[in-house]
Order: sequence, then structure tokens, then C-alpha cells
Amino acid sequence: MVTKLMKKEWNEYLKTGKFYILLFVFIFFAILSPITAKFMPEFIKSLSQEITITVPPPTWRDSFVQFSKNLNQIVFIVIVLVFLGSVAEEKNHGTASLVAAKGIDRRKWVFSKFLFQILFSLAMLTIAFFLCFYYAKLLFPETQFYLAFSSTVLFAVYLFFILTLTIFSSSIGNSMLQSAGIFFAIFIILNILNIIPQVNPYNPMTLPSIENQWIASKVAWGNTIKPIISTVLLSLILIFSGAAYFHKQEL
Amino acid sequence: MLAIKTEGLSKYFNNKKAVEDLNLQVPEGVIFGYLGPNGAGKTTTIRLLLSLAKPTKGRAYILGENISKSRNYLKKIGFLPEVPSFYNFFTAKEFLNFISDISGMVKPNKKIEEMLQLVELNKEKKRIGTYSRGMKQRLGIAQAILSDPPLLILDEPTSALDPEGRKETLDLIASFKGQKTVFFSTHILGDVEKICDMVGIIKEGRLVLNDSIENLKKSHSKRTLFIEVDKPKKLMETLQYLNWVEEMFPVNKNGIMLEVKDLQFAQKSLPEILSKENILLNKWELKEPTLEDIFLEVVHNGN
Repeated sequence: MVTKLMKKEWNEYLKTGKFYILLFVFIFFAILSPITAKFMPEFIKSLSQEITITVPPPTWRDSFVQFSKNLNQIVFIVIVLVFLGSVAEEKNHGTASLVAAKGIDRRKWVFSKFLFQILFSLAMLTIAFFLCFYYAKLLFPETQFYLAFSSTVLFAVYLFFILTLTIFSSSIGNSMLQSAGIFFAIFIILNILNIIPQVNPYNPMTLPSIENQWIASKVAWGNTIKPIISTVLLSLILIFSGAAYFHKQEL
Repeated sequence: MLAIKTEGLSKYFNNKKAVEDLNLQVPEGVIFGYLGPNGAGKTTTIRLLLSLAKPTKGRAYILGENISKSRNYLKKIGFLPEVPSFYNFFTAKEFLNFISDISGMVKPNKKIEEMLQLVELNKEKKRIGTYSRGMKQRLGIAQAILSDPPLLILDEPTSALDPEGRKETLDLIASFKGQKTVFFSTHILGDVEKICDMVGIIKEGRLVLNDSIENLKKSHSKRTLFIEVDKPKKLMETLQYLNWVEEMFPVNKNGIMLEVKDLQFAQKSLPEILSKENILLNKWELKEPTLEDIFLEVVHNGN
């Protein structure tokens, strides 16, 4: 049943153009990041002939810091906007009640959506990473695969959390607006909690900053294991509670 | 066996009683019309039966299964919502393919083609998003009957259809008589009268009537006759002294509306009187209550 429902999601993403939007965003920023890193200092220098601007020479690390920044800002927003309505909009339009009245397990319905989204996003991320790496290697031959890859793996864990939060918010809310409210409320609370030193090592919101540390210095798995485990646990709680809530919800 | 049975089924929204103490009985194989004014609780009842809403209290059984125990019974139901909503990016054929997938149908292609032909969407290649309300309604009917379920629950199935589409839909529903149970809500009384075996009337969340149309007509019979004669005044003068005549009044030029105590007695006596008084009979009509009369009486008087 889950694969049949995922097939419908795939059709939806192809036919509504969501597939192409996400593909474009991932590829665009994958290619743009190393190019920006390479040519931005020269561009800044060329802006003024009168003042001398000193910019440190770009390195491969700048490519992946830029890539990570783009993933955590623009790609993050696009992903949230595309996926946030996945359950809520179906409730709002009435397609959820039509499908639920066919006797399908509502929990499987939510899982199929999540599974599709995570597999789809990971596929996009993989394509984007290798594209970014290819162009970084072209422009900066000293580019280190392991550090860049490790940083992207961390983003994948963060993405996993964001997608579970998205599907949770969408399962609870009855419209895109309600779901957005729930999503951003939790997102902001977690960011505020990040200020507390005792909470910080267990907070999923720590992951983006560790991504940059990894690119800048070296991989320190010991410091990362706590946020990774707590992020995965929190993600599992979100996906299971979202599915359980939707299972009992009135449509 | 009963296809649908509810026991004290109730649904409250805050303090508003949408459905109150509903005791519905729908035998298998009948076409059941569920009538009620707007906001009476028809759609809420359907949502309760489909587990799309949770009852505040009471129980419901569908094809013998207690619906609060498991949702497996839903696989035996074809459902058409009041406003059918589909995935607008699919074509009709793609949508029915998806429905057959999730309904667990094996080799559904032939059946899908049959259904598309039945609802005249077989040549339609456009996406559902471009369909008119009537086309969506027809597609809704196709998806409801695609997996050949024994019970159909249809919420206002003819509301968006033109007269031709309405007739075809009603004929289709009527063709299920004896094979499937059809439970459909409507406010179009003519549709119910045409094809239903049984009706339920809901008013302000309460079921005020649940019976066969035949029984209803018998129990609500007015014992009223309409006769048209050449000398209406003379006949009225004769009839006014007879104790089996309850009420009479002239209608148009030569007509008389007659309410009698005993219809059979009146049917025997009237010809004798007409013959004796030398009155020529032009027209004789037994006035049966229409479903509309019964509905209005039940809704306004509550019995």
C-alpha cells in the first residue's frame, strides 16, 4: 500500500511541477556555490577602483560554506513551502476524506508521504552535493571530499528532522496556514532553546552550525553524536505522533 | 441482515446537537433515501458512518461490523461526497487507476474503461481540474462503484447534474436494486419517490421517520377523492347529510374535493348516489399523498 501511495506522490510532483522546482533549486545552488566562492572576491574588488579592498584568497571551504548556507536558508524555505501542505491541503480540499473513506490505513498514508519526501529530498541532495563537489574540484583542485561529504551528511540529518517537523505540522493543521503556524512556532521555540547551554548539545538546531565547523576545521564525531541521536529520536517522535494524531482526526 | 444499523448515534459540536439519538435501520439490497432540510444532519450522519467523524455517543454497524472496532468495513463501501474533490492533476483514467490501486483491485483496466464509458468520460483526456461540476459528479459516481462494493453511500448524488445526467444517474442507482444497498441523501423528493424503497427523514438531528414508501403512503393516506360531475351543486347538497363524508369543497367549475371516513365505503356508495340523482360523472381520482406531502407534514408537524 505504501508504495502505491508513494507512486501517487511521484505522479503529483511530476504533474504539478514540484519536482522541477526542487530539482532546479538544488542544482542551481549546487553550481552557484563554488562559482560564487571563486569569483565573489574578484567581483568585490572590481566594485571600487578608488578604495583598496582586501579580501582573503578563496578556498574550496568557501564553496561548501556557501553551499551549506544556501541549503540552510533558501533550499530550506523552498522545501518547507513545497512539503508543508502535503497532508493539510488534502484535508482542506477534501481528497483526504475521499481516500480515507476507501479504508486505507491513515498512518500508512502519512508514512508514505514522509517516505516519499525524504527519499526525494535525499536524492536531490545527493545530486546537488556531487554537482557542487565537481565544480568545486574544477575551481579548487585541493577540495577535500571527506570533509565536504561529512558536512552534507549532517545537513541530511537536519533535513530528516525538518521533514518530520513538516509532516507533523501538516498532519495536525487543517490548512497550509495553520500548519505553517505550528511549524514555525516549534522551529522558533527550538531556536530559542538553543541559547541554553545544557539544551544546546541535544538540539537539532545545533546541526547547521556544526556543518560549518566541519568544513572549516575537521570532523569531530564525538561532539556531534549527541545532536545526531537526539535529532533522530525527536524526528521519530514527530513522525509517529503526527501519524497517530491524523489516524484519529476528524476529516 | 441490516446493511446499516445505528443505536443512539449522536454527534455534538460543542453544544450544538448535529445528530441526536439516531436509530437508523437500512436493510440489505434496498435503495434508501435519506431526506431532511438543509442543516438537518444528513452529511454529519454520513461522516459518522464513514468514520470521518467520531460519534459523541452511540454505536453504528455496517454490514454487521461495529464501525468503532475497525475501519476494514470501509473497503465494502463506495462513497460519493456532496462536493466531490479529486486530485486535479490527474485525468479521469489516471484517477480511477489510483483508486483501483488503493482498493486492491487486480487487473482493473477493463473495469476502468467500463466505468469511464458508463459516466461518459471515456473520451476525456483533460485533467480533472478543468472539469465542470457535473463531470466531477459523474467521475465521483464512477470511483464509488469501481470496486463493485456491496454498499454505496452517496451524498446528494444528483445535485449538480443537468436533467439528462440526473435521469441517467437515477436509472443507474435504480439498476442496483436488489444487488447493492444504496444509502443516499438528497433534498430532491422526486428522486426519492422515483427509485427508493425506503426513506428516512431527519429533522434537527433527529430521525423522525424510517419506513418503506409503501407503508408511509398507507399511514399518511388522506382518504381524499376528487370528482368532476355535470351538476356539482346538486351532488354537494346530497352529500352534505351523509355521515361518511368528513369534508368537501368545490374545486374549479365542476370539481369537488371529498374527504371521507371510509374510502372503500365511499367508492361503493358514490356510484349509487350518482345514478340515483342522475348526475353524470366526468372524472374520478383517488388522491394519494405524495412524498412531498408526507415530508412537509413530518418536517412541519413532526409526525
